[in-house]
Amino acid sequence: MQQFMDALVAAPPLEAYLIVGAVMFAIGAWGALIRRNAVVIFMCVELMINAVNLTLVAFADFLPGAGGLGVSYAVLVIAIAAAEVSVGLAIVLAVFRSRRTVNVDEVDSLRG
Amino acid sequence: MQTVGQQLIIAAIPVLPALVFFALALLGRVLRENAQYVAILGVTISLVFSVFALLSVAGLIGEGGPIAFSVPWIDLGEGGVFPMGVYIDGLAAVMLVVVCFVSLMIQLYSGAFMEGDSRFAWYYAVLNLFTASMLGLVLAPNFIQLYVFWELVGLCSYLLIGHWYEKPSARDAALKAFIVTRIGDAALFVGIIIFWAQTGTTAFGAIAEAAQAGFIGASLLTTAVILVFIGAVGKSAQFPLHVWLPDAMEGPTPVSALIHAATMVAAGVYLVARTYDIFVQSPTAMLVVAYIGGFTALMAATMALVKKDIKRVIAYSTVSQLGYMMLALGIGAYTAGMFHLYNHAFFKALLFLGAGSIIYAMNSYNIFEMGGLRRRMPLTFWTMVAAGLSLAGIFPFAGFWSKDGIVASAFEKHYYLLFGMALLTVFLTAFYIFRAIFVAFLGEPRSEAARDAAESPGIMTGPMAILAVLAVASGWVGIPEGFGLPVPDLFAGFVAPSEFATETLGIEEHGFSFALAAVSVLMGLAGIGLAYFLYVPKPERATALAERLRPAHVFLDKGWYFDALYGATFVRAAMWLGRFTNAFDRRALGEGVVGGIGRGVFRIGEAIRRLQTGGVQNYALFILVSVLVLGIVVGAVAGAQWAVAVVALIVALTLATFAVGARL
Repeated sequence: MQQFMDALVAAPPLEAYLIVGAVMFAIGAWGALIRRNAVVIFMCVELMINAVNLTLVAFADFLPGAGGLGVSYAVLVIAIAAAEVSVGLAIVLAVFRSRRTVNVDEVDSLRG
Repeated sequence: MQTVGQQLIIAAIPVLPALVFFALALLGRVLRENAQYVAILGVTISLVFSVFALLSVAGLIGEGGPIAFSVPWIDLGEGGVFPMGVYIDGLAAVMLVVVCFVSLMIQLYSGAFMEGDSRFAWYYAVLNLFTASMLGLVLAPNFIQLYVFWELVGLCSYLLIGHWYEKPSARDAALKAFIVTRIGDAALFVGIIIFWAQTGTTAFGAIAEAAQAGFIGASLLTTAVILVFIGAVGKSAQFPLHVWLPDAMEGPTPVSALIHAATMVAAGVYLVARTYDIFVQSPTAMLVVAYIGGFTALMAATMALVKKDIKRVIAYSTVSQLGYMMLALGIGAYTAGMFHLYNHAFFKALLFLGAGSIIYAMNSYNIFEMGGLRRRMPLTFWTMVAAGLSLAGIFPFAGFWSKDGIVASAFEKHYYLLFGMALLTVFLTAFYIFRAIFVAFLGEPRSEAARDAAESPGIMTGPMAILAVLAVASGWVGIPEGFGLPVPDLFAGFVAPSEFATETLGIEEHGFSFALAAVSVLMGLAGIGLAYFLYVPKPERATALAERLRPAHVFLDKGWYFDALYGATFVRAAMWLGRFTNAFDRRALGEGVVGGIGRGVFRIGEAIRRLQTGGVQNYALFILVSVLVLGIVVGAVAGAQWAVAVVALIVALTLATFAVGARL
């Protein structure tokens, strides 16, 4: 019991962060691939981005040679993600205006 | 040796007509009928300069002797230099004057003959390019320069024969002339390459010296010389490449005069004469030249016997006369051959201009639609008779002196077969030319056009009269010493074979033989007499004779079936090859290879277009799959420690694929 409490109180190891990041990424990828609603797909993409951010920050903390560089990368990724979302949502809005739907399965004008 | 000014004058001889060509080709639309004055001015200056060259070579101006100079033209670096230059000996000087003079006469005459032609200025432009090419050819001191002008001459003949290209027959004739002479040109080119490869030079004199020094093996020399001769055969319309010349009659008549008298067909004979020092080193080649010439002379004369088209009669006569010249060169009678070339230029030009005059008056080529033109066109008649007597070799007309020289040489050099052929040809020549003259000018008019014919304008009869004087008198510069007249044999002293050729051939002086001359003149008179007997008092005699000898008549009229023979063999083979390559190009290359690639790409596109679903999630899946595959590859390369993670990813991927695939 004491050991379990120690383990809870102790700082989590790198693997824990990586496993959480991997799971987040997998969920995001899965959602991005199977959900129909464009807005939900965006949310899943955000999940993937943040999974990567988590991994970056974890590595930045655990690898002494990194010198905190991963953190600044994470900030960069957040900024770009924000921009990407605004552009993506604008596209979704435009699609919705013309087609009255945000279902990506119905948007297939580029079918060959 | 010469001053720069003299050299410039010499160089201007071919350059001036060439400049006239460019001027007329560019400004022809503006100048229209005035083009003739530009052209005539250019040729007149060239003629004056040519006379200057002749006098310089003869020693009447300056010190005399051959004029030679050159400038580097194509620098091959290590391979040497092809120079472009000028070499004028007696032969070239005479040819220059003849070409310029005949060209001038024809250009004067054409002004009236071609009046109202839609491409008048262009006609004059090409006429001048033709003259320029021939002058360049005459001046050439080496094979490469000669070949360039040789081809230009061929091109100009093509353009002029096809001048009235609206007529399909003119187009075909132009193509025929070009293609048939190309066969000879190809052989000539191979011969030039052999000479160049063996001796490293293309200059005539240097090749002759190299051959003499043994740089070329005997059999290779014979081969090369015969190849060069085949070039001459094509250009000079000798058997078996004579078929183009009669068809070349489709061109305007003054062009025929130019081609037959001075520019085109003379080039072949001139080439043999120019390279005579090389030819004499191969006795085999000389025999080939002599027998081809003799056979051509006889063959073409027989073909001319039955032709109804006056221009074709004269055309076959040219082939025959060129055969004489080749015969003369082949047996070593160099001076006689060149003398005949020189005399022939005048009377043959005159015959064609006379024929042109008739055509101008009555717009028909058929002698049997003429008749009775003597009273209506007296000047044309008398000039034609002068030219005819000259052609038939009747004393004392120009043709007599040169023809007698050739016939007598054949006898004295013991070529009895050739002598017989030549003598028979004399008879046939006199017969066919006077047959044409008698039928056209004597008797009663046989058509409305002949009844209404009138003499041509002075600008046409003027040159004819001048040429008639020369047809009578041009031979008087070469009266043999043995004849007994107190005049020097200027021509023989001026246009003589080189000492080397004289020694090699063992040429000896023969006295003038009155017996041989009498025999050849009698043969000529017999021919004229027979023509008179058959065609003038009772024309039915000729018809009856033709009926009785129908197969022979048809055989001759079809030109010994040479056209049919070539049509059945070479033309058909070429057409077959053309159709085969066409079919190969269309079917195998076009539909097979190119079309196959197109169809293949199209099918692949059809097959994989389904991948482009238009759904973004499919694309995202492809990206994911690709990244994972990349990861697997990189992992496999990097090592086994990645294997677990990779396998896990593949599992996740497979699940995701199934999840998405269920919804595709």
